[in-house]
Amino acid sequence: MEEEKSPRQLRGLYDRVNISVGTLNVVIIALSIVLVACLAFGISHRGYQISFDSLGGTAVEDQKQMYGELLQVPEAPVREGYTFTGWYRDKDLTVLWDQDKDTITESMTLYAGWQE
Amino acid sequence: MADKKIGAKGQAFAQLSPKDKMKKVGDLLLNNAMYIIIILAVIYISIKVPAFLKLPSIVNVVSLTAAKLPIALGIGGCIVLTGTDISAGRVVGLTACISASLLTTTFKVFPEMTSAPPIFVVLLLVLGTGAIVGLVNGFSVAKFKLHPFIVTLSTQLIVYGVILMYLKNGTNNGQTLSGLTDSYRSMVTGTLFSIGSVAVPKYVLYAIILTIVMWIIWNKTTFGKNMFAVGSNEEAANVSGVNVSRTIILVFVLAGVMYAITGFLDSARIASANAATGFNYECDAIAACVIGGVSFVGGIGRISGIVVGVLLLQIIFAGLNFLSVDANMLYIIKGLIILIACAIDMRKYLVRK
Repeated sequence: MEEEKSPRQLRGLYDRVNISVGTLNVVIIALSIVLVACLAFGISHRGYQISFDSLGGTAVEDQKQMYGELLQVPEAPVREGYTFTGWYRDKDLTVLWDQDKDTITESMTLYAGWQE
Repeated sequence: MADKKIGAKGQAFAQLSPKDKMKKVGDLLLNNAMYIIIILAVIYISIKVPAFLKLPSIVNVVSLTAAKLPIALGIGGCIVLTGTDISAGRVVGLTACISASLLTTTFKVFPEMTSAPPIFVVLLLVLGTGAIVGLVNGFSVAKFKLHPFIVTLSTQLIVYGVILMYLKNGTNNGQTLSGLTDSYRSMVTGTLFSIGSVAVPKYVLYAIILTIVMWIIWNKTTFGKNMFAVGSNEEAANVSGVNVSRTIILVFVLAGVMYAITGFLDSARIASANAATGFNYECDAIAACVIGGVSFVGGIGRISGIVVGVLLLQIIFAGLNFLSVDANMLYIIKGLIILIACAIDMRKYLVRK
């Protein structure tokens, strides 16, 4: 399958590759270092950002939590003339966040549900 | 026999001069730089979070691999042809939305419907949808001689528009589709077998079957041999009597069918579908193929490589997820992985030349 190819037969996405093996080695090493640095940065800043949109109520501060943890439920926001019904996953308030069961798997924003 | 081979290789290595030895080792390190980094990262993660090596997490990684395998197997063929396919993710989204809109109990997209059609009818319908998009891609690549990037960019946009309009249908108004029928969900996510209390879902079995089918297609059929011939040298393939256009079109149609299967499985797996379903799936699939040694030079690639590529990517990303690394950083890491994999692929090619 891997027959000898003369330079004229260069095809594919490497049709016009214009780099020597030596330079390519440097590129690969440099990119690997950047990748390792990014991994290190990501790991050292680990934690998922949980934001709370109180949708008209008093503001609730962001939290940082780890994968697999239960949400540390913040103090309920207050809104005049409404009662707080819980935190929801979506802005349309269809999926309620179950504080006893749901665990954190990503950064997210929770929305406050209100009832008049 | 394998032992003999390794023994002979070792002997040849011992006879080299120190300088050549250094070069050989350097070559080995550079060509496998990606694997080395990923393996080191996984070792680090499993020390930091021991739960990563526990059974639930391993089953999770295997399931995720199974879910992402069909799309990668489809794209692999396009890459063997020196092409690519960036419409893949959106085709997954469209087919997921079609499946979720029909195999449901709420019928928000088609309010006049009262009962869900048989599952296999829906499956045929989505396979047909995927095949049509694949046909458009393949036809344009084979006949217009356009680069697959351009062709699949246009189908990607068209398919996305279709998804958005489809979701506006009926009383749905662009919202997420959910409320899937139990039979559909259990067919895909039902328990295949359990290890202790950890259930392995049925779609793992489907992914294994698809892998075997694709292996046979790639290695044992005339179509597969033609695909590699066209990928490694289109003109030579043409001269030796291969129908180049038909091969290219078939590869893209087959890829479209694989995306449709991914979409069909994905909406049941996630239990919902919306306009964002499948978004960026092609990036993961292309990355997996390149890591797995499917070369952009064309005509080079193996099914086993694709499986390993998908598995490695899922391991590293599941691991980073365990470490709670933010999703924004994952995009950068994914991009770097693709870039390094391409550079290594290119290096192998230049060295051989």
